Amino acid sequence: MLDQAFVALQKFNWGTSLNEVAGIEDAVVTAHTDADLRKDLEQRLIAVLSTDVSADAKGYVCRKLAIVGSPAAVPALGGLLTQEDNAHLARQALERIPGPEAAAALKDALPRLSGKLKIGVIGSLGARREAGAIGTLAGLLGDSDRAVARAATLALAAIGGAEAAQVLTGALRASTGDKLPLIIDALLSCAESLLANHKRTEAAAIYKSFCGDEHPRLVRLAANRGLLACNSQQT
Amino acid sequence: MLQPWIHVLSVVALGLAVVQVGPTRAFAADSSNEFVEQIVQLLANPDREFRAAALEQVRKSARGTAATQTFAAQLSKLDPSAQAELITALGDRGDVAARSAVVELLASSKDEHVRSAALAALGQIGGAEDVPTLITTLTASGAEQQAARTALVRMRGDFVAEKLAADVKAGTVPARSTLIDLLAERRASGQMGVLVAASVDDDGGVRGAAMNALGKLAGAAQVGAMIPGVLRAQKGGERDAAERNVAAVCARIENEDQRADALITALNGVDAAQRDQLLSLVGRVGGKRLINFVGDIATGSDAARRRLAIDALSKWPDASPADKLLEIAGKTSDPAERTQAFEGYVKLSATRDGRSDKERLDRMKQAMKEARSPTEQSLVINRCRTAYDVDAMRFVLPYVEQADFAQIACETIVELAHHREVRDRNKAEFDKALDQVIKISKDEEVVERAERYKRGETWERRKK
Repeated sequence: MLDQAFVALQKFNWGTSLNEVAGIEDAVVTAHTDADLRKDLEQRLIAVLSTDVSADAKGYVCRKLAIVGSPAAVPALGGLLTQEDNAHLARQALERIPGPEAAAALKDALPRLSGKLKIGVIGSLGARREAGAIGTLAGLLGDSDRAVARAATLALAAIGGAEAAQVLTGALRASTGDKLPLIIDALLSCAESLLANHKRTEAAAIYKSFCGDEHPRLVRLAANRGLLACNSQQT
Repeated sequence: MLQPWIHVLSVVALGLAVVQVGPTRAFAADSSNEFVEQIVQLLANPDREFRAAALEQVRKSARGTAATQTFAAQLSKLDPSAQAELITALGDRGDVAARSAVVELLASSKDEHVRSAALAALGQIGGAEDVPTLITTLTASGAEQQAARTALVRMRGDFVAEKLAADVKAGTVPARSTLIDLLAERRASGQMGVLVAASVDDDGGVRGAAMNALGKLAGAAQVGAMIPGVLRAQKGGERDAAERNVAAVCARIENEDQRADALITALNGVDAAQRDQLLSLVGRVGGKRLINFVGDIATGSDAARRRLAIDALSKWPDASPADKLLEIAGKTSDPAERTQAFEGYVKLSATRDGRSDKERLDRMKQAMKEARSPTEQSLVINRCRTAYDVDAMRFVLPYVEQADFAQIACETIVELAHHREVRDRNKAEFDKALDQVIKISKDEEVVERAERYKRGETWERRKK
């Protein structure tokens, strides 16, 4: 059944009935409790990525690797990050595969990418809450492509924590105009994650910095609410 | 430019639900000065949303008596709108340390919102000393009266019911019926004696309120005590309501025999003339043992008592005395009694009491055989509408062709067709019958309904 499914996968496209690849679908479920099957399935899926099957078939494989993939699948998935047709599903898998290998593959790909593909990888580093990528993302805050800079800000917001907050605070001082709201928003997000991790003092410092009358009403309101939450946690 | 503000907006909207962790710690000790100061500052903010953020903390966080007193001390510095908000929050906070400030403001403020908020808050942080004020306010108008009422329901402690009951008993305050309503809302079952006494009060409003309260709170042991209330009630609406309240108490007695015993015991406590007046109540309570009790009177030698008993059987909550009524209707030589018993029989036979539609229709067919006049036949045709079955339509349809019954038959067929589940399953047959109705009925509404049902449309019954 599994062999038949892999044969069917050669001609797979998004119009194909999933019954044709039911063997793979079933194996993905069974692999949750069968380590050997999982390893075997992963290897067979990785092998498909190096063939000249359609982009749809590779997309299907990426989806399955997002479930059963391990660091062993990272090189094959990383190779797809430059391919517009498959990059997003490859990233989806890399966002979910645990371990430093997937993060490294995403970071390493950044210099080779531009535009949407680069923005996508930045977003994936944020989705992984990859603290190790903070330095790389900091370097992108001043990128000449405003969309890239914006994606880096959002990724830092998603990663959160003191280090990301420090980077964003620096960026705030250096920024003017329409960049400010996004950075403030990212900093408030960092404060929220700090508070959730009981780092009240650090969170309160961020909130306090936005309580002043010089800030827009909604920012002050959010900051005051955050500060109340900090104080509430302290008592 | 909207997207950057998504986080800000979500934080504002969600009130930082995500980050409010560690509630146990939040309640562990008195709040820090910094926290209380921040709340105080925000309470004075002219922007309502900033105040709301602070009020949320007043309600749920920033614990400790000192903090409560600090918040309460802000009341005098705020405008009436903010005062009302803070009073409500202090009430929700539930710390009695805020009571004196709230009472002070209640005494000094002329603003209805502030006064209403203060009265409502007393229900949460007030004490026995506030109950008289709340009771007095029950005679006020609008929001303040409602707030006082809410507070008297909400306030904890037996002293509230005791004071309400004492005032009902003393009869010195107006709105006694409201006090009785409040006792019922508080489920003050310890004040049953006062309610029973009030059920025979000279004031009809007080009597009605007391019977309603007993209807909600009383049990088998109080059925006897409620009987004088029924007898004291004026015939008509008040008597009807009083009987329903006793029936409601009896309905809560699950065992049918115990239910009958409770009522029979109560009936044995009154004289024969009074007992006759209570036969209607017996009918409302129902039960097999009581059928025999009433049935004996309904077939006895005293004509006046017979009428009362037949009336009682006709009010039965289910169809169990139907045969008894048919038997009386068949045997009696008194035309009025015949009519009364036959009407009762048809009424009970049509009752939707858990029997099947077929059983109801069979009863109707039997009634039609027993009917002795066009009036009685019309009555049966009319009641056939309670058997939601195509067979009921088939039974009634021939009468459409008979001049004496055509109009009531048309009306009954349309009523049966109203039930889509009956009509749609037998559409062709119903369409044919409705065509006849359209042709014969002289009632425009009946014709319009027939046409709508034929088109598969619904009909909204006009409110009476």
